[in-house]
Amino acid sequence: MVGEIESPEELDADERDALEALLQRLADDEYVLAERYTEWQVRAPTLESDLALSNNAQDELGHARLWYDVLEDLGYEEHELVYERDPDEWRHSTLVERPFAEGDWADAIVRHYLYDVAEELRLEALEESSYAKIADRVGKIQSEEGYHREHAENWMERLATGEGHERLQDAVDRLFPHALTLFEPVDEQTEETIVDAGFRTESLEDLAEEWVNTTVPFLDGLGLETPAVERVHFDEYEFEVLDEELPDKRGRDGSHTDAWNDLHDEFTRTYRELGRSEATKIMETAE
Amino acid sequence: MSSETPDTDPDATPCAYTDYREGEAVEELPATGEDATGLEADVWEVLYEIEDPEMPVSIVDLGLIYGVAVSDDGVAHVDMTLTYSGCPARDMLEGQVEEAVADVDGVEEVDLQLVWSPGWSIEMVTERGKDDLREFGLSI
Repeated sequence: MVGEIESPEELDADERDALEALLQRLADDEYVLAERYTEWQVRAPTLESDLALSNNAQDELGHARLWYDVLEDLGYEEHELVYERDPDEWRHSTLVERPFAEGDWADAIVRHYLYDVAEELRLEALEESSYAKIADRVGKIQSEEGYHREHAENWMERLATGEGHERLQDAVDRLFPHALTLFEPVDEQTEETIVDAGFRTESLEDLAEEWVNTTVPFLDGLGLETPAVERVHFDEYEFEVLDEELPDKRGRDGSHTDAWNDLHDEFTRTYRELGRSEATKIMETAE
Repeated sequence: MSSETPDTDPDATPCAYTDYREGEAVEELPATGEDATGLEADVWEVLYEIEDPEMPVSIVDLGLIYGVAVSDDGVAHVDMTLTYSGCPARDMLEGQVEEAVADVDGVEEVDLQLVWSPGWSIEMVTERGKDDLREFGLSI
């Protein structure tokens, strides 16, 4: 039943682990994508697109906080989760951690599109979550996500003519396999528990199927090829992600691409340095 | 880059998303504490004094406070929302509320909960809040 579970005390150990894994996936995706988006601040092609992507980053940071808040039910604190976890404890998809080549706006737009279609589907699958605090905040997030996909699609269409087309195709070739990891499980058993306990009401397989049947026809309509296009039949829904289509590092299981270590090092640096240099020590050196 | 301008959608409206009229009215909200008595009324009173950091309007009139209840042992339970999940003043507002409520005579402890459902909308703003916002220059 929707929102029937009010507290983790009502859960057994496996269910608690599954809840934690689900929340980490949700929060970490949002947080890391926002970190990457902020790299476009003052570098986007126009002031308006700069503001738009900065706004998206702020939205995603807000949503990450909403999910980290729920993890506090399980005994964590926000600052521990963001600044004190080792890089291999993060559970985000590799799609969101990939670095941008300098000035590759098409990469930012393709990533934005592939991610936001997935996010829309996954939020629908959380609307009726059995865990009250998850179900409670989905509406707020959806109300702020509404224009993300539209923004991404507008830009995809704008870039799909002329030289932009080639840049989009390069980005699709590069990012599509990483986007498929959005639908990879932390591990099979945990994923099964997430659905059985009703934390999410749809399986990752079903979400992947819907996602592929949305993104591939859209990309096809813009003349963009995807590795999966031959297996998407526009009148059928069935689709299975093949192992050979996935990248070696999948994020969800804690394995990440090298770029993640650099990004993690960067955004935790100030926190670590502040821990090392207390104000009193600075005062002492003045003697 | 091509010098051609793309066809514009004749139905497009600039900044369609700044329509602040969206949102459904929710029964029992805005909560204003007008029927509150005793300690709860005192808590509402101090909450009224706190303003939104960006606009000169009380957080109560803005509709951020969903409920106040003070239990017999002096614990003040406050349910509060924020207009935006990415609000950069979240910690500041939480701190202000906790501090102000803790200062109320008879309150022993403050239990502040951030809640997100129903999501805040302009329908949650009181009439006085709307007047304050108009005075500030917003067209609502």
